[in-house]
Amino acid sequence: MIQRLSTTLNRSFKKTRFKIGLAISLLVIFLAIFAPYIVPRPQEGLGYVPYDAEAKKLLPPSTEYLFGTDLLGRDLFSRVIMGARTALLQVSIVVIVSLLLGLLLGVMAAYFKGLIEVLLNYFTEIFMAMPTIVIALVLRLTLGHGIHVTALSLILTWWAWYARISYVYARGVVELDYVILAKLAGLHSFKIIYRHVILNIIQPLIVQAITDLGSVLLEAAAINFLGLGVQPGYPEWGVILYEGVFYGGGVEVFTRAPWLIVFPGLFLLLTTLGFSLLGDCLREEIDPQLRRRWHLWF
Amino acid sequence: MTISLNYIFKRLILAFCVVVGVLVFSYVLILATPGDPAVKWAGNPRGPGAVKAIQLAREELGLDKPIYVQIAVFMYNFFTGNLGYCIAYKGQHVVQVMITSFMSTFELTLLAYVISVPLALYLGLYSALKRGGIFDNIVQSASVVLASTPTYWLATLLLLVFTILKISVYGTASPRLIAETGFNTITGSYLLDSVLQGNMQVFVDSFLRMIPPALAISIYPIGALTRLVRVLVAKSLLEDYVKASIALGVERGTIIRYFVVRSIIPSLVQVSGLSFTYSLIDAMVVEAVFGRRGLGSLLIGALNTADFKIAVTLIAFIAIFYIFVNTLVDILQALIDPRVRL
Repeated sequence: MIQRLSTTLNRSFKKTRFKIGLAISLLVIFLAIFAPYIVPRPQEGLGYVPYDAEAKKLLPPSTEYLFGTDLLGRDLFSRVIMGARTALLQVSIVVIVSLLLGLLLGVMAAYFKGLIEVLLNYFTEIFMAMPTIVIALVLRLTLGHGIHVTALSLILTWWAWYARISYVYARGVVELDYVILAKLAGLHSFKIIYRHVILNIIQPLIVQAITDLGSVLLEAAAINFLGLGVQPGYPEWGVILYEGVFYGGGVEVFTRAPWLIVFPGLFLLLTTLGFSLLGDCLREEIDPQLRRRWHLWF
Repeated sequence: MTISLNYIFKRLILAFCVVVGVLVFSYVLILATPGDPAVKWAGNPRGPGAVKAIQLAREELGLDKPIYVQIAVFMYNFFTGNLGYCIAYKGQHVVQVMITSFMSTFELTLLAYVISVPLALYLGLYSALKRGGIFDNIVQSASVVLASTPTYWLATLLLLVFTILKISVYGTASPRLIAETGFNTITGSYLLDSVLQGNMQVFVDSFLRMIPPALAISIYPIGALTRLVRVLVAKSLLEDYVKASIALGVERGTIIRYFVVRSIIPSLVQVSGLSFTYSLIDAMVVEAVFGRRGLGSLLIGALNTADFKIAVTLIAFIAIFYIFVNTLVDILQALIDPRVRL
């Protein structure tokens, strides 16, 4: 598997798109780790209002305030850069947890046929239909503000997507001879599931997960943008946008201070773009149908 | 068509089972989360009367009954359309509010798809036919960027641009015009209502106000569907029937129009159907930006008034719509794709 992974990576690395995606992703990871040491005002980045807020309110971008300041006089550059950590944190939690959950349930549905298969597929069907944003609303009303609301509501809907994909992949694998032989040899079911099924289908699923990082980021930011997730002041791009769009009269404020909405959105766009470029290139490499050269018939 | 009736029936039964599951889950979700809904429903009361108020709220919500009875009652009420009144829209039936809001969001999303599907088909087809060229490269990069642009951010930028240009696009229709022409909502879809009332001024006004949010919503389907069409066309060009028709000397335009495009339409319909519900959710966020009436404003209203009833009904409503669209798409596919019709 390691061998296959490294050839995939090697081949992907020849593409410009992959390099751009990798560069963006690495930049975001770098910012996520070192943000507090890079930004000039890490305290303001975390949402603390400076003592002379009134004087610093809505300053345009300058050398001192690279992205300008917001309604409460906080340095927008610090806030946006500090947001990288939150973005990466919520996205990786959501994708890893829902991938593990979905993988386990999907593979189990394919391996144990009969009632378990029917029930698990039924649950998958139900959760795939759930609208993430409205689940976030319910969780927000019961659990209050916080990053856990965003993460939980996303996990509740995303696992089903991975369960469906793993089910489809695993159904092809469980019919293969070596799985049947392992069963006949009396190997424990969970050992077969782990060693012969999951390890066989994990690669396309990981690539799928990398591709999904961008969509999860956008959805998480959308939940926070509606004020359903983390509390205002939190360094998160969706919430920074929310403050710019809905605070203090909305339209009037951000027509006077467009930097409030331009920069956080730009970071969202770039990060999503980076993740989807990475995922796309990897997917092209592992899917032979996409890799096939097209004959020029016309 | 007699063969696929069986299939349609099976799909409908399955869809109904999933709807029941969704209703049970959305009810359980509220009971399972920490915090007593009765306390919230009574408005977090304090002081000597608090216990009584919470008790009353508990009885009103039916929380004192066993859980399966509660679920059965909720299900019965849902299917008979008896969901009570909603707090944010004073004194209106929940079902009525839900349907009018839904119609407003639905027309917006539909407009976005009317824009994006033909455009994606055109762009994807031409970039696949001219693959490797400049056009293909531009379309490919643009579609990746479009599919990863946050819709609500683009909506905000559009609002910003139009506000700077002093063109009013905020809201569903101009309040002044509504007051002057005596317009009132029937179905919730402003375009449909204004046509029904013969009110052309409101029709034009609400249509123009729909364009910027619809553009914002349409970027995701444009990006995603263009890439899909490109891959589908590329695969379709390698099919034997295309090679055979080239060998037989069929005209290029005919092959593209009648063989290639015809063969990708079922998949295109399926994926657009699936992404339609996704865009409906996108539309809710965009509506909040543009201050439009719809499911988005309903969601914000439910947030501000802590209205669980709206929240649960909204989950059930959107989930049912998703299941409905999926079932419809599967049935449609069976009807238009001869290969699935078994």
